[in-house]
Amino acid sequence: MHMTITRSLMTLSAAVALAIGMPATAQADDPLAVSVLVPITGFLALEGTAQRNGAVMALDNPPEGVRVTYDVADTATSPEVAVTALRRALDRQKPVAIAAPIFGTQMLAMAPIADRADVPLITVSGTAKLTELGHDIVFRFFPTDAVVKVAQARYAVQDLGMKRPAILFQTTAYGQSGRTELVRVLGDLGVAPVLEEAIDPGIKDFVPALERAAAAGADGLLLQLHSGPTALAVRQAHERGFEGPIVAGSALHQPTTAALVEPAALAGVCAESASSPVSDSGAEMAAFAEAYRQRFEAEPDAFALAQYDGMNMVLAALAAGARTAEAVKIWLAGNRFQGLAMEYVSDGTGNMAHDAIILCYDGLTRTPVVRKRYDNVDGVR
Amino acid sequence: MIEATVQLLATALALGSAYALTALGFVLIINAVGAVNFAHGDLVMAGGFVAVALSLLLPEGLPVPGLILLPAVLLTMAVGGAALAAVAYAPLRRSPPVSVFISTIAVGLILQHAISLGAGPQPRVGPSLVGDGLVDLLGAALSYQQLATIAVAAVLCLAVHTLLNRTRFGRQLRAAAQDPEMARACGIDLRITIGATFALAGALAGGAGLLLSNQYFVTPTDGAMFMLKAYVATVIGGWGRIWGAAVAALCIAVFEVLVAAAVSYLVAEMLLYLGVLALLMLRPQGLFGEAEGRRA
Repeated sequence: MHMTITRSLMTLSAAVALAIGMPATAQADDPLAVSVLVPITGFLALEGTAQRNGAVMALDNPPEGVRVTYDVADTATSPEVAVTALRRALDRQKPVAIAAPIFGTQMLAMAPIADRADVPLITVSGTAKLTELGHDIVFRFFPTDAVVKVAQARYAVQDLGMKRPAILFQTTAYGQSGRTELVRVLGDLGVAPVLEEAIDPGIKDFVPALERAAAAGADGLLLQLHSGPTALAVRQAHERGFEGPIVAGSALHQPTTAALVEPAALAGVCAESASSPVSDSGAEMAAFAEAYRQRFEAEPDAFALAQYDGMNMVLAALAAGARTAEAVKIWLAGNRFQGLAMEYVSDGTGNMAHDAIILCYDGLTRTPVVRKRYDNVDGVR
Repeated sequence: MIEATVQLLATALALGSAYALTALGFVLIINAVGAVNFAHGDLVMAGGFVAVALSLLLPEGLPVPGLILLPAVLLTMAVGGAALAAVAYAPLRRSPPVSVFISTIAVGLILQHAISLGAGPQPRVGPSLVGDGLVDLLGAALSYQQLATIAVAAVLCLAVHTLLNRTRFGRQLRAAAQDPEMARACGIDLRITIGATFALAGALAGGAGLLLSNQYFVTPTDGAMFMLKAYVATVIGGWGRIWGAAVAALCIAVFEVLVAAAVSYLVAEMLLYLGVLALLMLRPQGLFGEAEGRRA
């Protein structure tokens, strides 16, 4: 009798809600919305496209019992476009989580708005400041500069013996942030760079910087450049006959970057990264890489994998019963997740990734090998 | 010291000669229609992608793939330039110049996004003009590609000079640019000359794109940077001065490279734009003087 009355009341309330056009209360098996807001056009389109690909690969294969819908929107390269895309997503889709841009400048504009809405942003942006502003909704699945730059500087100094490195860095937030960390870690290692050169992303000619590095007596190069400029710097250093070793930032690990340079020019060149799906021969990673190639006709990179792992952790939160953005946020902040690239856990500020690797090229192929692993660099895990 | 200077000068001349071709096409359109073609940088970028696409059709191992493709790239981009005139200029030719500014900005963005969607956002390497290899000059290692870039740009500039000054068609183009009403009264069909000017500018942009695409790669977002270089070169050389812009483009590249090597890239760029500001205040007609009545 009691059951019948309850069922009747539920049916009646649903009918009333439908009749007056109000949304019914979310049911346990209703699909939940996730937004994918990444830069698909503009100068970060390569990285943003990798983010999108990784996110949709995860969202298209949710765990048993989890149903999600998702929309993809382009944030291009301006904070205004990103904020508009975020507001539209919050108004229309009511997402429980958002795959958010790699572009730190956009993230800095989006974070306060997402914070007010209490919706977690799942990003691979490296801008250190993002997780230092007190927002508890930013979750970064790519190691920060405080992790990968440690690997880059330590490998250069301790393994390659650099004593007088030159740092070429981009004038963007990405470049500045990496340069700051590199200088700090080098200082800890007792090494001072002989040259620190800021380079606009539009610069095509690295010969002046290479000449200055040589004139300063640099015995190696540390690069903190975007994809195209990294390839230009490596190629022009090779053509110019720069003799010291080169340890590049994570941009070089992207297969599309290495594809720009002849294998011979890559001989002995190394790079830091969080992972390298094309180098890892493990069964799970190989399956991911193959599925990625088949779907997107492109090689996967660490950004795609990190975003894939991040969205899978969101899906794990949903599988564990989270039904709201706040519940997803709390789950992400309080749980560990074994992804394909590494194990993720928050350091209390949303930095989820704590491992880095060093990849090196042999000069014969464009596929790097993992030369060294730096696990739990910041001691969080 | 000499070695480094030669290396830097060769680099600057190679880059500057491609910028000179870009500026040349940019000024031709200013002269023809009295308005700025803001899609010109994107035409350079598109030329690079056309070269990349056509190079995929060539068999592997050709010694001079870029040179083989150059005529096809010039032709394709000439058609592209003419299409730009038909889409972004012809329907607005009686409108204020600002309408053409906006329409060319729109076409440029459409081009950029279409190429990004079609070819992907990643940088691409264009075909090398003459294959890889280095030449030793006073101890500096100069690549074949650098030297070939300078040579090809010089030949293209010479061809344009000959076309404009030694042919009846060129004289018609110049007449239409200098005084459209008088040219029309003399029986010159302005629609044809304007279309031909856009085609010529498109071809030059394509040539610049091919030259740049191997040494410096090409990405769909490169257009804005090329556009800025062409615009600044035009301001320095004198608004509407064809060869003034080309020489200024060359000088900009040399200035940027030498100052960047001596001090830093940031200082080079700041000094360049400080120089442009000073020029605008002290000699607004540019170093070579402004072509009369050309400023829109």
